[in-house]
Amino acid sequence: MNISETQAGSITIVAITGTLDASTTKELLKSPAISNPAQSVVMDLEHLDFLDSSGLGALIGTLRKKRERSAETLISCMNDRVRRVFEITNAHRIFHIFDDTAAAVDYATQLTARI
Amino acid sequence: MKTLLAIREREYEWVQQAFPSIHPLLLPICNKPFTEFLIDFAILAGSTEIRLLSDGPLGKVEDYCEDGSRWGIKLSYGHLQAEDSLPELLNKSRKFCTDDRIMIISGFSFIHYDKQLGYANFMSLMPAGTCASCPGGNITLAGPPETSAQELPALPLTLMPLNQIESYFRISMETLETGAARYVLPGYGNEPGCAIGRNVVISKSSEIIKPVSIGNNVQILSGAVIGPGAIIGNNVIVDKESTVKSGIILDNTYIGEHLEINGRIATGNTLIDPARGASIAMEDPHLLSGIRSADKRGSAIRKTVHLLAAAILVALQLIPFLLLFPLLKLLGRWKSGMAICHGAGHGKSFTLPTTLITGNGPLASLASSLSLDRLPLLLRIFTGQLAIIGSTPVPVTLETVVLPGEHQGYRPAVFSYAEAEEWPVNDSDAAIVERYFIVHSTPLKDISMTLKALLNRL
Amino acid sequence: MNRIITLTLPGELIFARFASETAAKAALLLINSCDGGADDWKFTHAFELAVSEAFTNTVSYAQKPASPQPVTIDFIFEKQCLTVTIRDTNPPFSIETPAPDIESYPERGYGLLLMRTVMDTVTCARENGTNIISMSKQLNP
Repeated sequence: MNISETQAGSITIVAITGTLDASTTKELLKSPAISNPAQSVVMDLEHLDFLDSSGLGALIGTLRKKRERSAETLISCMNDRVRRVFEITNAHRIFHIFDDTAAAVDYATQLTARI
Repeated sequence: MKTLLAIREREYEWVQQAFPSIHPLLLPICNKPFTEFLIDFAILAGSTEIRLLSDGPLGKVEDYCEDGSRWGIKLSYGHLQAEDSLPELLNKSRKFCTDDRIMIISGFSFIHYDKQLGYANFMSLMPAGTCASCPGGNITLAGPPETSAQELPALPLTLMPLNQIESYFRISMETLETGAARYVLPGYGNEPGCAIGRNVVISKSSEIIKPVSIGNNVQILSGAVIGPGAIIGNNVIVDKESTVKSGIILDNTYIGEHLEINGRIATGNTLIDPARGASIAMEDPHLLSGIRSADKRGSAIRKTVHLLAAAILVALQLIPFLLLFPLLKLLGRWKSGMAICHGAGHGKSFTLPTTLITGNGPLASLASSLSLDRLPLLLRIFTGQLAIIGSTPVPVTLETVVLPGEHQGYRPAVFSYAEAEEWPVNDSDAAIVERYFIVHSTPLKDISMTLKALLNRL
Repeated sequence: MNRIITLTLPGELIFARFASETAAKAALLLINSCDGGADDWKFTHAFELAVSEAFTNTVSYAQKPASPQPVTIDFIFEKQCLTVTIRDTNPPFSIETPAPDIESYPERGYGLLLMRTVMDTVTCARENGTNIISMSKQLNP
């Protein structure tokens, strides 16, 4: 798995490439934008090939911690395989999901400006 | 142009309550799933790409509609949140909405359109904004029109709310009446008002009165009267001397003998009065007398016959079992486990042994041919948990919405009627053939069917 | 005619991906061996996901994480059907756990839900101190 962080105004875009499963979640949770609960992020999943329940658990934990600090975790560009995991677990009910990273950044910027 | 279909779970909640085994977005209207009507209309309106958005699960819809290639369009799926506004929806699908013109169909409503009319021209000329609406649904256009027309006639369509059983029934009947003249409907028919699906057996002495729509894998037995105004779904049996008029029989339903379904919806074991929204489980003695009496009369004799047959089978299998089982176990070819299955009767369940004989060696093949893997199950006949022949035991899963134990025609057994008949095994097809035989088979017939199942495995 | 591939892996998390990728390849093998087998991403993904979940579950609940026990995976090929069995010697567990309620943001407990949803059947047995998870799926149900 490869994680890259890019700043877009007050929002950090966290792009994940490869696999997010039990063996790689620790690495994700250590990345600066994820470990800072006050930082709103857009998780760009365009190049995420595989997600299992451990990886999903890490994303949900991130969402919860950030919402406790009035920050957001938005999801963008998930493929059908990742979307299937979100749908079975009903995770799509708690995340805002976009098909475009720039649109997610705009939405996150509006949300954080409101707070 | 592209189309976004945005349907929220709360808008179709009533379908989940009324028909728990049907995905609301696949609710059949005149034997055609709801979503297909929307896709047809979007194509008529000039769309080449459609995205279906919902906050509910879409897996079953996706399994059915796939990527849209069946319609020659590109179909994708996405998620929304119940409170999302229209601009938020467009923003969440920004990459999809690159075309200038986007049509957004929101809500769980039925579009009363006419396939003879060219909607594409209308949709390209109409100004942005809502162009049709009804309580709980609307069609909105986003993006500028291709050219601004001076005067536009009214859009030749209406939206009808699909918000309760009564409106569902009315829309289904209207669709059946207008039929293939307005919509693309499934089934074959040489004359208007009569559409019949594949693998339909209609007895010579039964009567079909237009308009009717009959799905796939349907049996209409002698003396039955179908129509006028009958919609019969897939995998349905209408037994002798029964009448269905101004009624809907949904998929996987068995209508017993001498019943009259008039102005009602029948689904599984439930009969619904669309006008009042009231439903009754089909345990009413008048409605299910045929099934109940057949079941009660034969049950004691049947049990004895099944026990005797099981004792003979166990005696025959014992020696081959004692010889082959240790060898196969040693070779790792005999794999056993346990599964929790539904029992006959409301809320009943029990643990059943599962056996898998693997490998293609002579020993494994011999054990499979002799049905030795069924021996652990045969012993369950003596405890009264299984019959020798009946339905395939249904494993308990969280996803099983309609419990098979609540149906009259579920009798978990060692062998199933479907395997005896070498029925193309697909869950719903197999279930209906099993239910048919459970009602119609005699104890003697059970023995011959068991032999047939055994021979099929040789 | 059944054919079996048996894979034995060290019971360590870093091998979960290897197990799941092999499961996806096994599923693809079944698709390709069937007449007119079309690319069915849902079928291969189902095995990839279910094996990842089962393997992770097995390894995470190991009694002695310091000296992990090997995990044996059988891929059983039948006509139009693939069955995977995973064997381990950890304490017994139940597969009848209710699905978590997403509204309270639970971070765990989705594995069994995913396995049960993507597979046709998931069963669990305990035999001579060994847990056996068996999962199967028909190619064209």
